[in-house]
Amino acid sequence: MYLIEKSKVMTIADELAKEYELYGPVVDKAAGQVFFDRVEGSGDISLMAEIPALPPKATVFPQIESIMKYKYDRETKNAVIEPVFSEAKKALFGLRPCDLAGIICLDRFFIGQEFVDDVYLEHRKRMFIVTNTCVVPFKQCFCVCTDSGPDADEGYDLNLTEAGEFYLVESGSEKGAAMIEKLGLAKAGDEYRKIKKDVVDKSISLFEDLTTDNKAWISRVMNRITTGFIKDDVWEYVGKQCFECGACTFVCPSCSCFNIEDHNRFDKSTDRLRTWDSCSFEGYTNMAGDHNPRKPVEDRRNKRFFCKLSYSQSKKYLRPGCVGCGRCQWVCPGDIGLPNVVTYIRREITE
Amino acid sequence: MCENDKKVVTIPEVATIVEIKDEIQDVKTFYLKFDNPDIDKNFKIKSGQFVMLTVFGAGESAISLPPSPENDRFHLSVKRVGKVTDALHKLEVGDKVGIRGPFGNGFPFEELKGKNLIYVAGGIGLIPLRSSIVHALQHREDFGRIIVLLGARTPADLMYQYNIEEWLKIEGFECYVTVDQATPDWKGETGFVHYLIEKANVPVENSVAFVCGPPIMFNSVIGELMKRGMKDDAILSTLERHMKCGIGKCQHCSIGRTLVCTDGPVYSFKQIKTLGEQI
Repeated sequence: MYLIEKSKVMTIADELAKEYELYGPVVDKAAGQVFFDRVEGSGDISLMAEIPALPPKATVFPQIESIMKYKYDRETKNAVIEPVFSEAKKALFGLRPCDLAGIICLDRFFIGQEFVDDVYLEHRKRMFIVTNTCVVPFKQCFCVCTDSGPDADEGYDLNLTEAGEFYLVESGSEKGAAMIEKLGLAKAGDEYRKIKKDVVDKSISLFEDLTTDNKAWISRVMNRITTGFIKDDVWEYVGKQCFECGACTFVCPSCSCFNIEDHNRFDKSTDRLRTWDSCSFEGYTNMAGDHNPRKPVEDRRNKRFFCKLSYSQSKKYLRPGCVGCGRCQWVCPGDIGLPNVVTYIRREITE
Repeated sequence: MCENDKKVVTIPEVATIVEIKDEIQDVKTFYLKFDNPDIDKNFKIKSGQFVMLTVFGAGESAISLPPSPENDRFHLSVKRVGKVTDALHKLEVGDKVGIRGPFGNGFPFEELKGKNLIYVAGGIGLIPLRSSIVHALQHREDFGRIIVLLGARTPADLMYQYNIEEWLKIEGFECYVTVDQATPDWKGETGFVHYLIEKANVPVENSVAFVCGPPIMFNSVIGELMKRGMKDDAILSTLERHMKCGIGKCQHCSIGRTLVCTDGPVYSFKQIKTLGEQI
């Protein structure tokens, strides 16, 4: 563990900006909202800002990206295929632990299975991640229930924890250790371990009662969802409430369904685009010939909760798919964000 | 990219259409050859797998593989139903397409030795089963009875008639055909395909059934087989889903806890029952 003075913490970001494209939490002055955005220098970044409105998943898995270009000339029968991969070196500065957990989910899903997704891997392999421990939870946060906060314990290059006049700096990789050496940070004594623990414990104690109360219920609900012992009424209610807008999937740090579409250009070349998709859309499972095995909305809508809370999906992420950021709860117009659905299932269990 | 010659699974290989054969209405068979001779030589498949087919300018689709794993020409039989297949049907000999794959688990042939094989197909459901039928007939001595039960809407909708005639020359191959609507010159059976199960006196002991067809046929056939005492893990089917990537990432093809592209497309009925979704 190392120490850096609060006033100098941005030198880490400045150092990263020399080598990497820098991303960080920025408060949008007009809207008052926080976005995790590309910044030119450290000046715009706010480490005190609350959790960003959108997760940083777009840095590893952009909303729309071209994964391949091709050109086929029918006259000469000549086909040229050109893979497109990101070459950018990105540094994410001031990532919240829940969002890091989201990226870890995506890593294990895209890279850690039978097939490796090269498009994702190219985004990810040159990345530098600096996480920022949440010293106070924000409204709707429930990361304590999903084992993803308020401090990060793996997957970062550097981890910052605010403690009085200092930030405690921990390195989680060789890249992180090299950065600490480059900056010549002062080593922190053993007493700082206790200080960090106190900071984290205090943060945990500040979570709303409701959240901590829910903690045991999330594991209970995971059990129910995995074994399928949930009454159809619950899913029917959830289906009725759903607007099919797809917002929950777009703001979720671990949702990664995508669509692939070939987009023709005027110069006869074609871009193969990969775009975010949502399991709540009716067209998601519609096959050619118009056979749709998931036509009713409740058949589709419960899939998101299977993805976030079932054991079979957790096996792919090696953790729960839900990271406890609470964003789906903010954005859902139908009041069926994940914590609410857990509550509905909980009511059904207790009744 | 492509470090250490690792294959990038998201990029298709170019193949040329060398022959096109009209099958039944709206179905054509496309014989293909990879432009890269190494790939053409090393392209190995398992019965029951599928490929992702790119029709340039139109998009990509999952298409099942009808050729046998051994000494069969690489071909795809495709029905014209949507955007990509429509564009494919407009192509001619010499045109190029893109192929990714093969993907999927395939039929578990190692476990099927010595058993009776019963194939039940409705319409173009015979296409994904063809590979395994040819494979079984090539290893005729490894299996008991090989029975094909085939249903189609009209006599003109019967797939691979020329193949069936050829297979019938092989000893111990049984084939029963029925159509929903007979034409005046039709001399065979009329009715739904599950009636043939009775007629063929399908053995249930030491047997495996391969079922592929539209959902309504699937349910009636399974019902009939179970009524005769067939075990649910002895009924295999290959399922179809809307699919975008073929490598278990886009999740469009999820059924219950599984993905058709990596956990399927071959499922036993025992598995299907636990998935809790429509077929």
